Amino acid sequence: MKSIVLSSVVVALLVFSGCSSKKPTVDTKVTTETPAPQEVEVVEVETVSPEDSMVDSSSNASDTSGQMSMSDIESKLPTIYFAFDKYNLNPDMQVKVSKAAQLGKTTASEYNVKLEGNCDEWGSDEYNFALGLERAQTVKKALVAEGIDANRISMVSYGKSNPVCTAQTKACYAKNRRVNFKLLP
Amino acid sequence: MKILFSLLFTFALLFAGDATIEVIKKVDTLPSITIEDASINYNETFKLQFFKSLVADLNVLSIFNVDRHYRILKFDASSVLVENKDMNYVLRYKMFKGDNDGLNVEIKLIHDDKNVFSKSYKVGRQDVYMFISHAIAYDINEFMGEPSVAWMKRKVIFSRIVGPKKTEIIISDYSLAYQHIIIKGGFNIFPKWANYEQNTFYYTTLDTIKPTLKKVDMKTLKVSSIISSDGMMICSDVSGDGKTLLLTMAKEGQPDIYTYDVNTHKYKRETSYRGIDVDAQFMGKNKFIFISSRLGYPNVFSKNLKTKEIEQMVYYGRSNSACSSNGEYIVYKARETSNAFERNTFNLHLISMKTDFIRRLTATGVNEFPRFSKDGDAILFIKNYKNQSSIGIIRLKHNKNYLFPLKYGKVQSMDW
Repeated sequence: MKSIVLSSVVVALLVFSGCSSKKPTVDTKVTTETPAPQEVEVVEVETVSPEDSMVDSSSNASDTSGQMSMSDIESKLPTIYFAFDKYNLNPDMQVKVSKAAQLGKTTASEYNVKLEGNCDEWGSDEYNFALGLERAQTVKKALVAEGIDANRISMVSYGKSNPVCTAQTKACYAKNRRVNFKLLP
Repeated sequence: MKILFSLLFTFALLFAGDATIEVIKKVDTLPSITIEDASINYNETFKLQFFKSLVADLNVLSIFNVDRHYRILKFDASSVLVENKDMNYVLRYKMFKGDNDGLNVEIKLIHDDKNVFSKSYKVGRQDVYMFISHAIAYDINEFMGEPSVAWMKRKVIFSRIVGPKKTEIIISDYSLAYQHIIIKGGFNIFPKWANYEQNTFYYTTLDTIKPTLKKVDMKTLKVSSIISSDGMMICSDVSGDGKTLLLTMAKEGQPDIYTYDVNTHKYKRETSYRGIDVDAQFMGKNKFIFISSRLGYPNVFSKNLKTKEIEQMVYYGRSNSACSSNGEYIVYKARETSNAFERNTFNLHLISMKTDFIRRLTATGVNEFPRFSKDGDAILFIKNYKNQSSIGIIRLKHNKNYLFPLKYGKVQSMDW
């Protein structure tokens, strides 16, 4: 009996012998007596935004020409919504993408398009950004399948940083899981 | 029987240093410490502010029971206050104005009626007093012979969401008491220190046509563009020597991991899975861990930098979407509820590569973005709970979590 107990303990020891103690490295640097935080001036503001460009473009719109402005066309493009933690298109959304592709081949044929992937508020990590990108990628593939030139399409993910709704309700979360179309000149 | 006991004792010793084993309760055994203020020159509000900062820092050390009573005594008083006679340690300090309105602080630590440690500190401006408070706590911790809390003196950089597509990048101390907005306006995310000295940092701007990685030299305020990618561009980690970056880019539409040589400006694709590969973190010199959806759900994997070898690192949980490593330890974020319509819970877990133990580090809310301190002593993380966004610190060896709430906005990402 004693030998069984002994051998069990020895086995346990062998199993756990890899669990060495983890001693954090002690910083041996001489401590400075003057904590002098680096104070830095504010970096100049960077405010180049596609939205501004569109507003400018919109103001140049000429009704007399009968042409639709970029922002007019953009307002006709749909928003594509996705299910929780998913990036595949359901049939309803597939129909919307097909309509967008039609616009892309006709009225909006002179513009490039930027697909903006967005997520709900569950997670600010890289994976959530990647999920937004996968949503944009799904829409891109569907547009290409409908005959749109892939070179006209660029993508970006905004993760959860571009919500259209901030209430904590299921309707609101659903509104944020989306891909927006932005036209580029 | 003696052999059995000695074996069990050895067994216990082996486990004593394992961070995955939880310390349940040792509060009663901690020595007590109290603080006596002997400051001159300053008004009551500031005196109290400094006192509170010191109490908070001593608490975070987790090696004392800290008395919260504010008491005043002359710096040169021969003995401690009557109320403090039973305290194991008394920290007495004196703040006084120096040249050009600088803040000076003298401290002495008293134990058994003897002055056992004393030191002086100074800082150029009164409003950065918290750095002196952190330095005092750091020195007392060193004096007590505890493992270093060097992270206490390091700066945190984080991005804060202030509106749709609007962020700020902020430099702060670990407790968020000091905050300096270094990039205001625009849509700038994922800041990352570029070196150990913390005088340069990277961040991603989404204000350009393609997401672009930028670098800011804080001495010259020079901002330079490093590299762009359609879809996604994030600097996930910087090697210890600052020479190699781990990037997440989507050069071919899918998010993949790339290494980037800072000197030659060349990049190399490390992963090529057609799903999601993100959030790479160096694990030693030749390996990195990352999050991948290659099993159909996000989980933690590792890749050797010299070979194509990829290994699954975590075998628990069905949705592990963020990670950080230090030595043999990995901390990861796991989703514990999966509900599209209600509030979900995300908790941080710690595992060791050498044992099967798993330790849950948080209990409520959305806990994410874990980042080990350089020495592995603490984990910094983001907590969102009931509309409040905070930065938290987990002291692994002491089984304690501390939260520092943000006054407004939500923390998007951070580094320290």
